Amino acid sequence: MALTFREALRVHGTKENRLDFHLQHADLAQLVAHPTCNRVVRGSSPLVGPKKVVDFILKYVKNWRGAPRQVEPDCRFSPTFQLGGFRRMKSKKVLAIGAMALALLLSACSSSSDETSAEGDKAAFPTEDLTLNISWWGEQEAPGAQKWLEETIALYTKEHPNVTIKHVLQTTDGLIPSFEAAAAAQSGPDIQYFWGGIYTQQPGWDGHIAPISDYLSEEELSHYINAKVEAGFQGKVWTAPWYINPSFPLLVRKDILADNGLSVPTNWDELMKVCDVLSAKKITTIAGGVKDGWFGGWIYSILGGQSVQSQADVINAVVGTTKFTDPEHATWWTKLEESRDRKCWNDDINSLELYQAQQKFVDGTAAMTITAGPDAPNFAKKAGGDEKVTIMAMPAWSDGPLAGKMGTTSQTLGITKWSKYPQVAADFIKFSHTTDRLNAWYAATGSMPADDRFDISQVQSASTKALFESALNGAPYLENFIPAQLDADAVFKNVQLVLKGEVTAAEAAADKQAIMERLRKSDRKLVDNFTAWAK
Amino acid sequence: MKLASRKTATADVTRRQRSAHSSKEALYWIGPAALVILLIFGYSVVSVLISSFRYDGDWVGLENFEIVITDPIFLTALKHNGLLLLAVPVLIILAFILAVTLFETRRGMRFYRSAIFLPYILPIPVVAVVFGQIYQLNGALNIFLRSIGLEPLAQDWLGDPSIALGTMSSVIIWKEVGFGVILMLAHIISLPNETYEAARIDGAGFWRTHLSITRPAILNTIVFYGVIEAITMVSWVFNYVYVMSNGLGGPGNATMVSELYIYRAAFQNKAPELAAVAAVFLFVATLILMVAFFRIQRRSIAGTFNK
Repeated sequence: MALTFREALRVHGTKENRLDFHLQHADLAQLVAHPTCNRVVRGSSPLVGPKKVVDFILKYVKNWRGAPRQVEPDCRFSPTFQLGGFRRMKSKKVLAIGAMALALLLSACSSSSDETSAEGDKAAFPTEDLTLNISWWGEQEAPGAQKWLEETIALYTKEHPNVTIKHVLQTTDGLIPSFEAAAAAQSGPDIQYFWGGIYTQQPGWDGHIAPISDYLSEEELSHYINAKVEAGFQGKVWTAPWYINPSFPLLVRKDILADNGLSVPTNWDELMKVCDVLSAKKITTIAGGVKDGWFGGWIYSILGGQSVQSQADVINAVVGTTKFTDPEHATWWTKLEESRDRKCWNDDINSLELYQAQQKFVDGTAAMTITAGPDAPNFAKKAGGDEKVTIMAMPAWSDGPLAGKMGTTSQTLGITKWSKYPQVAADFIKFSHTTDRLNAWYAATGSMPADDRFDISQVQSASTKALFESALNGAPYLENFIPAQLDADAVFKNVQLVLKGEVTAAEAAADKQAIMERLRKSDRKLVDNFTAWAK
Repeated sequence: MKLASRKTATADVTRRQRSAHSSKEALYWIGPAALVILLIFGYSVVSVLISSFRYDGDWVGLENFEIVITDPIFLTALKHNGLLLLAVPVLIILAFILAVTLFETRRGMRFYRSAIFLPYILPIPVVAVVFGQIYQLNGALNIFLRSIGLEPLAQDWLGDPSIALGTMSSVIIWKEVGFGVILMLAHIISLPNETYEAARIDGAGFWRTHLSITRPAILNTIVFYGVIEAITMVSWVFNYVYVMSNGLGGPGNATMVSELYIYRAAFQNKAPELAAVAAVFLFVATLILMVAFFRIQRRSIAGTFNK
């Protein structure tokens, strides 16, 4: 059986030693409790043998005697530990505890790694009363998420009565700024919600989150869908995927098309013909709202993704190897222009927000809309279910490898760097991926949890099942591979202007390229970060 | 002669001593508050200034300034702040007309006064959300215009980049005018009645009375209001723009202002050093306006005393 240092002391130490340990050497306990070090201590890593454990302990025992200093465990992302408290210790006592710790840890290392890992997680779990704060988003695109989260919190805190979990649902516009404010103060939520890709990478690069891979085993993470593609960085994984966002499905009302003698379009030209017919009858073909910008990013991903080979092409344009004015990155603007000229969109697209516009689809005043993947089944249900609605990828306008495929991204949860209880936060995230919770997520939201252990056979609706399957084998979601600032300053802005007829497709592409060039100057780490990410 | 000059000299010394004493006393009284202000504001200003010369902790000289000055979005934001200043004369004229009209109103003055002041006390986000709905292409205003046969006047008020800033300034004017009305009205009410009676006896009409008597008499208040509103247009319109454009300053960059630029640089684009540079520019612009205000006010007070 494996024991942590703390447990070993509890079992084998004298009463006096235990008291000393708890009162004077909490720092060491914290050190041992730190997942990086804990993993070393527990021997769960196959690369760490008993000799390394001895070296590890000796290194810190030696440090006890010196001047107060910061001791960095040997990992890039680990927090620092103040060992000032050890100064007061007398050297004999120090050596005695050190030797005992050494002996116990060696015995702990001899257990099998699988057994130790599971046991170790429990052993490292703090026993004092503590509070975790979660700052999240998601109810907006996966209604029912709040109910699920509250239920999950209740179940978890029942299992761990010393843990209290509070949560705050953020607004769409407030999610990033509120996290940035917390990061500036190095204080705030323990668990933070992040969209995938760059929205996960950037806080990682900025040092605001601790990699979830430091706290969850590789085996556990291997079940989390899109973890490595979007949240992976140089062997680490920043955040834990929570639920999948098939990005972004086109919802088509078959009943409206049929009433007008039309069928579901299977390619771009057919879609344009549908626009011609419906606009002549003053019916909106696709309902959208770009006032708040987000819809612009969606359009970029589902149209712009059709002419690139992979996300690597986009990263190449970001770092300057290629340009956003090159045909593979610029042609989609002409498609957007064409859709405007063929009157595919609602006339008030510029003055409506995303969610306001989508309502037109439910009301039956628009034949199609584009929704967030997790919300698509709900929209389909509201508009009459599978009988009346088809959920599909945007019809292809090119023959590129990603054309006609659904994008896929996972919305994630990360542990903030300033969290005092990262191991508890990780444990809660792991708890949210248990079978019961995965099924409960689907039941509460109708969307798919980002875990391949979720049994997809329980999905009854054919369109929803098809949506889930398409997301499992989906294309990378391009918007998540460009800098967020480029998205807002160039994509959001130019989609608004192209749809309003204020700029041409060529001007929009040129503006995006100009903004990218300026961004490379102002964000002096951007090229290095993206290059490292691409590796 | 000698005695007289000695007396004068003694009086001068006493006056100087008294003045020195009172200056010292004033310093004691002002000192603590001045220290707090210096610590809070002084620290922030110095801190922002230092940040503007750094990148990721390293000193980069004027590099950040060059990036911001050559950023078309920042230049657009400054231009828009400048254009919003055009709303200040409109505000002053409107507030003056409403104030004198209320002053002349015999019945229901309290009600009208409250009605005009009400928008000023409404929270800006509430106002911005409501007007955001009203100004939609298919919103209340356009529905009304279409219903009375004025379809050509119906516009995409906030969705059309060519008119979005004007639309936004109309909301700002609607909200801010009440403050000016109350300020001016309070001053007008305190003016001596005899002057107005004399003017009426001399046959002065409504406009002549208020342009020749009221306007110069309340000039200080008008200038004060003008400067306050100028500062508002330069550095206090963030809430309107943020709520009405969903934090984007759109459509395009049609409603981008310097405050929003700072906010986005600091909290969305993770570029606090660029936000600091823009804040320095904004601080200087506000400082210029305040200095101008105090100069005008001093001249105006001196003018009043000379008269």
